[in-house]
Amino acid sequence: MFKLALKNTLFYKGRSITTAVLTFVSTILFILFISLQDGSHNSMLENSLKIYTGAIEIYHKNYRDVGGNEYLIQDAKAITDKLAKIDAIEAFSARYETYGLFSSKEYSAASMVAGIEPNRERVLSSLESALKEGKFLDENSKNCIYMGAELVKKLKLGIGDEVAFVGGASDDSFAADIFKLCGVFKTGLFEFDSSASFVSRSYFDELMNGYNKASYITIKLKNIDDADIVNSQIIKVLDDEKLESLTWKTLMKSMVEMMEIDSIFGYISLSLFLVVIFFVIMIYGFINISSRIKEFGVLRSIGLSKKNIFLLLFYEIFILSTISVIFATPIAAYICYYYNINPVVIKGIAEMYKDYGVVSDEIPFNFDMFTIFWNVAVVYILNFLSILYPYLYINSFKPIEATRHV
Amino acid sequence: MYRLILKMAWKNSFIRLSRTLLVIIMIAVSMSMMLGLEGIYDGMVNNMVDKNRRSDSGDISIFAKDYRVNRDLIYRIKNAHEIKNEIQNMDGVEAVVLRIRADGLLSTARKSSFASVIGIDLNEEERFGKFSEFLKEGTVDLQKQGAIIGIELAKTLKVRVGSKIIFSTQDGSGEINSIALYIRAIVQTTNIALDNSAIFIDIGQLHKFLGTTSTEATQISIRGNGEGLYGELKAKYPNLDVKSFLELQPMIKQMQDLMVIFNSVTFFIVMSVVFVGIFGVMYVSILDRIREFGIMLSVGMHYKYIRLQIFFEALFVGLIGYLSGAVLGAVILVYLKNKGIDLSSFSDALEMWGYESTIHGTIKLSYFTTTFASIITASLFSILIPLRKIKKLNPIEVIKADK
Repeated sequence: MFKLALKNTLFYKGRSITTAVLTFVSTILFILFISLQDGSHNSMLENSLKIYTGAIEIYHKNYRDVGGNEYLIQDAKAITDKLAKIDAIEAFSARYETYGLFSSKEYSAASMVAGIEPNRERVLSSLESALKEGKFLDENSKNCIYMGAELVKKLKLGIGDEVAFVGGASDDSFAADIFKLCGVFKTGLFEFDSSASFVSRSYFDELMNGYNKASYITIKLKNIDDADIVNSQIIKVLDDEKLESLTWKTLMKSMVEMMEIDSIFGYISLSLFLVVIFFVIMIYGFINISSRIKEFGVLRSIGLSKKNIFLLLFYEIFILSTISVIFATPIAAYICYYYNINPVVIKGIAEMYKDYGVVSDEIPFNFDMFTIFWNVAVVYILNFLSILYPYLYINSFKPIEATRHV
Repeated sequence: MYRLILKMAWKNSFIRLSRTLLVIIMIAVSMSMMLGLEGIYDGMVNNMVDKNRRSDSGDISIFAKDYRVNRDLIYRIKNAHEIKNEIQNMDGVEAVVLRIRADGLLSTARKSSFASVIGIDLNEEERFGKFSEFLKEGTVDLQKQGAIIGIELAKTLKVRVGSKIIFSTQDGSGEINSIALYIRAIVQTTNIALDNSAIFIDIGQLHKFLGTTSTEATQISIRGNGEGLYGELKAKYPNLDVKSFLELQPMIKQMQDLMVIFNSVTFFIVMSVVFVGIFGVMYVSILDRIREFGIMLSVGMHYKYIRLQIFFEALFVGLIGYLSGAVLGAVILVYLKNKGIDLSSFSDALEMWGYESTIHGTIKLSYFTTTFASIITASLFSILIPLRKIKKLNPIEVIKADK
């Protein structure tokens, strides 16, 4: 049956070429579209995770929903000691965050100020590598402040300038101090750059009365794909109902959801192409079969079953699909691989979409063999579905009737 | 004669019913999907454009020079009231509002966040952009230290209608000043900047708080449809920063451009594939009847009548496909426009990124006219090669052939 199918595909050249070309186009289109979509989403997530948000963060329950000093982690060391025992964790750090007003000689602006452990942050986040001017913090930075470029611009500060801070301490008292601008960072994340600043914890704890306290503990994993497994481990190790450990999927829920929506719309757009191509392949298959009704009548008359006829049609479309996929997949995979390593650069896109968390002009493709595999599988399925109607059409003829068909 | 040709063309169009129906279904399905997609994507952008216009910049906004760079109260328009009166009397101007804005820290007893307080006149904003339509919760009222807060900012601070908030900022004289406010309403403008960080209070109250006068403003927003208005304003106020909507919202301009490119590329690809489908059917349909055409030529029928018949056949198939697609597409578009796509399970994300949780489509006549032109063109182009084949026919040989 396979041999017969092979001969048929060679004999009916018009149909074979059209089907093969359309399958080739749809395979390439499908693989590249999904690769670009996944690549841009991954890039947005990775950039956001790299900048500041941890793969997992541990909070006192209600800190995120209600807020307030009573929901600060009161014994951060007890938690970090437990985290140190988990192999899958690469690094962790306790951060103390608060909001306050900064005033330079002439200008004022509100900002988030975080007490960080500079040495740990070097591994955890890209704060140090985002340095634009001055220097990053160290454990002995004292009243040095590391500020976002947009905030510095707002306050009209220069390196070495002093800036007054007023905020609330962990015991609900007023906290006020004068910081010295030691470093300016620019992550590209507009909102972050215009509203965040950092001080070394060793100094900040004294100001905030925040010894051993933390807003949350941020964790970097050796492999981010293990976030769910490691999170379960952390919850087990902590064994404290007052604490909650959340993965990036929860922490960045809005971004993840937005990407899901973007994917849904992407799939809908793509489905338009695939549906049209599916119809054309089906039409060509149908035309081909309409002209072979006599042939099928003869085949049925000499003893071939309906199942054999289905198998014949299946093999024909399988051969055509496979030929197309064999050519299309390596080409598409290579393009994905190439643009994964050398992302497409659209100058100005980060500036344009800064409100949407886009921090880079680079749009990488995603290169993932599993994704390519399921893309190809979908193309195969669509092609197989395209023979159903022609098959039903043939079966509507009785063998004798079919042999007489003109 | 022409009547006969028309009749023959009509009958021949359906001689292989299944085949013709498949082409019609292909055209109808692809066209309706395409219309639906165009409608929903345009709807998303139009909704964003409309609400951004109404809530913030209008069609044109005027700022003091350097305000947009420094965003500081120092750079305010001193004679804003006078300018407003002048603009109101210009041709094509529908509404003008004054706003004053200051950035600062917004705090509750438990949480703080940076925010921008915007002083507005509710009655004027209602005329300018139907402000009350942005309401999500509460009542639009700014009396007695009332404030209206953006939906995302309310989520960040975990505040509700009735909550007390404190806003601190630097006033007009450079001093740090604070004001207690009570939330009366939560609004969703789908303008990310406003939803994430704005609190609206009465402009008179904000002037008092900031120590500025009622004749001053940081922004004058204008709604108007006069094409020359922008140029006129630019010429009239050379010392001010006059910006059009798209200059202020380059992202929306790019979104619109991207949408046009995306829709055009989609349209081109889909129509090309549709063309391949119609071509296949027309080609085979003509080849199937090659003897018939041979006989027609032999009995003296001129080639131009055969060409006309085939032309009508292609036209009928394309037209019926188009009409089916147009009806199906119109149904989808009307549904999308009235009911929309409910994505409330993703509402958090959509609201955060400036979209409503139900996305409504839009309907434009151009969707139908361009598709009509394309489908009819594709149908007619699909017969060119088969027609060449018929033109080269030797009638005697064709009649002698088995088929």
